[in-house]
Amino acid sequence: MAYARPCGDFKTSYAQDMALLDVRLYRAGFLLLLAGLLAAPWLLGRWLFLLNDIAIFAIGATGLSLVMGFAGQISLGHAAFMAVGAYTSWFVTSELRWPFVVALPASALVAFAVGAVVGLPSLRIKGLYLAIATLAFQFLVEYLIVQTVSGMGGTPVPPMDLLGVPVDTEVRFYYLALAVWVGGAVFATNLTRTRVGLALMAVRDRDYAAQVLGVNLLYYKTLAFALGAAYAGVAGSLFAHYNRVIGAEHFSLAQSIDYVAMLVIGGLGSVWGPHLGAAFVRTLTQALKIAAPLLAASVPMLGRATTSVREVVFGAILIALLIWEPGGLATLLRKLKRYVDLWPFPH
Amino acid sequence: MTPQFVLEGTVVGLAVGSIYALIAVGFAVLYKSTKILNLAHGELVLFGGYLAIALTTAAGHLPAPLAFGLGVAGTLVAAAALGFGVERAVMRPLFGQPLLSVIIVTLALGYVIRGVMVGIWSGETRTFPLVVPPVVVRVASVPVPLVGVWSAAAAAALLVLFSLFFRYTRWGVAMRAAANEQLTASALGVSLRRVFAYAWAFAAIAGAVGGILLGLWLGVNFALAAVGLKALAALILGGLDSIPGAIVGGLVVGVLETIVGGYIDAHVRLFGHPLHGFKEVTAYLVILLVLMVRPYGLFGTEHIERL
Repeated sequence: MAYARPCGDFKTSYAQDMALLDVRLYRAGFLLLLAGLLAAPWLLGRWLFLLNDIAIFAIGATGLSLVMGFAGQISLGHAAFMAVGAYTSWFVTSELRWPFVVALPASALVAFAVGAVVGLPSLRIKGLYLAIATLAFQFLVEYLIVQTVSGMGGTPVPPMDLLGVPVDTEVRFYYLALAVWVGGAVFATNLTRTRVGLALMAVRDRDYAAQVLGVNLLYYKTLAFALGAAYAGVAGSLFAHYNRVIGAEHFSLAQSIDYVAMLVIGGLGSVWGPHLGAAFVRTLTQALKIAAPLLAASVPMLGRATTSVREVVFGAILIALLIWEPGGLATLLRKLKRYVDLWPFPH
Repeated sequence: MTPQFVLEGTVVGLAVGSIYALIAVGFAVLYKSTKILNLAHGELVLFGGYLAIALTTAAGHLPAPLAFGLGVAGTLVAAAALGFGVERAVMRPLFGQPLLSVIIVTLALGYVIRGVMVGIWSGETRTFPLVVPPVVVRVASVPVPLVGVWSAAAAAALLVLFSLFFRYTRWGVAMRAAANEQLTASALGVSLRRVFAYAWAFAAIAGAVGGILLGLWLGVNFALAAVGLKALAALILGGLDSIPGAIVGGLVVGVLETIVGGYIDAHVRLFGHPLHGFKEVTAYLVILLVLMVRPYGLFGTEHIERL
C-alpha cells in the first residue's frame, strides 16, 4: 500500500477500488481534518459560531447534492424543506413538549414524507418545468408560514436539551452539530457507492436508459427528493434550536438559491462539494456582513451602496465560477489531489 | 360571487394581464430562440421601472409628457444595451453548457442586477411624477383608473408591433427560423450569435416596458420582481415555446388572479383566519395545476423523447 499513489494505478482488489480514502496520505489527511474539527472550539475561540453556521447549512446542502448532484433533478425549493423540519421541531418541542431527541428524527421523517410528495411530479415533468414546480412549492410554503404560524414576525423555539444535558453554549451545540454533520456526510458518501446511489446517477445521466435497464424511476426519483428533504429537515431542526427564533424570512427563496449556489460553487456530483460550498458561501456571507459596515464607515461616499454588496459579490462569484471552473471547488481539490499523486512529475 | 364582481375582476384582470402578457412574450422569445429560461427576468422588469422613474425625475424641469417620453426612450436604450451586454459578457461563454449552469447563471445575474439597483435606489417604493391624471374612467360600466386603460392599450399596441416585427422584418424572420431549428437556420446563413444578442435585447426591452407600465399604475418597489415569476406562470400556462400562448396565458393569469385571488382574499377563511394576500400565490397554484395536468401548456409543443 502506497503512501501516495505513484504514476499508474496499482489497485489489485475490488475492496481497494471501492475504498473512499484509498491511500495512507488521504486517510491521514482525513484523520487530521477530523482532529482539527474536534479541536475547533480551542482553535477558533469566539469564531466558533461560524463553524456552527457552516455545519447546519452543510447538512442541508448534502441533501440537495443527493437531489441535484446525484439524481440530476433541479430543486429551487430546498429552503422550504428546511422550513418543514424547523416547524416540525418547533411543534414537537414547544407544543407537544417532547424532548429534542424525538424532535430531530421527527423533523427528518416529516420532511422525508413531504419531500416524497413534492418529488412525485418529477416523474412527469423534468428539467425546466421541474425547477418551476419546486419554485412554486417554495412560494406556497412561505405563504403558509406567514398565514398560519409565524405571521410576518418570528416564532420562538424553546432551548435544546439533549437527554437532560442543556445544549446552551456554542461549544455544546458545536459537538452536537458536528456529530450530525459527519454522520450525515458519511451516510451520503456511502449511499453513492450502493445500489441506490448508482441508480440515482443512472437516472441523472439518462432517465429513459435507466428505466430500460430496470431502474424504477418513480421509486428512485421520489427517494432522491425524500432523502434530500430529510437532510434539509435535520438542518432545519438544528437551525431552529440554534437560532431560537424562526420565521418566513429564514426559509425564503433567497435561501433556496443560496443552497443551489453552495452546490454549484462546491461542485455538483461530488461528495466534498456541498461541504466546501457551504463553507465558502457561509464564510463569505458572514465576512461580508462584518465587512460591509466597516466599508461604509471608512468610505462614507459609498453610503448605502454597501448594503447590497453581498448580493453583487455573490452573484459575480457564481457567474465567474460557472464560466471558468464549472466543476466548482471540488474540481480544484481533485486537481490538487492529482498533483500530489504525480509529484514530483508534472504528468 | 356576484356578476358585478366577476365583470369588475375581468376588466381589471385583463388590464393587468395585458402587462403580464407583454413581459411573458419577452420571456417566450428568449426561451424560443436561445432555450434559456431567464430567471432574472423579474430584475429586468425592476430595472425598467426604476430607471424610467429616475430619468423622468431627472428631466423634471421639462413639461411632464416630454420628460416622461425622454425617460422612456432612455430606459429602452439602456435596456437594449443591458440585454446585449449580458449576452456578450455572460451568456456567450456559457454556450453549450448544461441547462443547470445556465439557469443558475441567470439567477446569479438577477442577484447582481438587483444588488446594484438596491445600492443605487435603496428599497423603498417609488412612483412616477404625475404623468397620467389620476381620474377613474368607466369601461363596460366598471370603474378603472385611467392609468390602467393606458397601460393596457400600450401593452396591446406593443404586442401588435412585436408580432408585425416577427412576421415581416428580416431579423424577426431570422429569429423565428433560429427558434424553429437552430442548426438549419445557422446553415442557411443566419448568424446565431446575432440572433441570441437580439433575443436578449428584446427580452430586456419587453421586461423594461412591463416595468414602466406597472410602475405607472402601482409604483415600483422590489416586490415587483415577483411579477417576473408571474409572467413565468403565464408562460407555463400557454406553453413555454408559444408566443400566442404567452399572450393568452398572461391574460388568463391576470383575470384568474383578480377574480379567484380577490374572492378568496375577501371571503374564504382558513381555521377562522382570513387569507390575506392569496392573490399573490394564485399564479403559483396555476403553475402547479398546469404542470400536473398538461406540462407542455395550452399551446406548447408536446415533447416526445427517444432514447
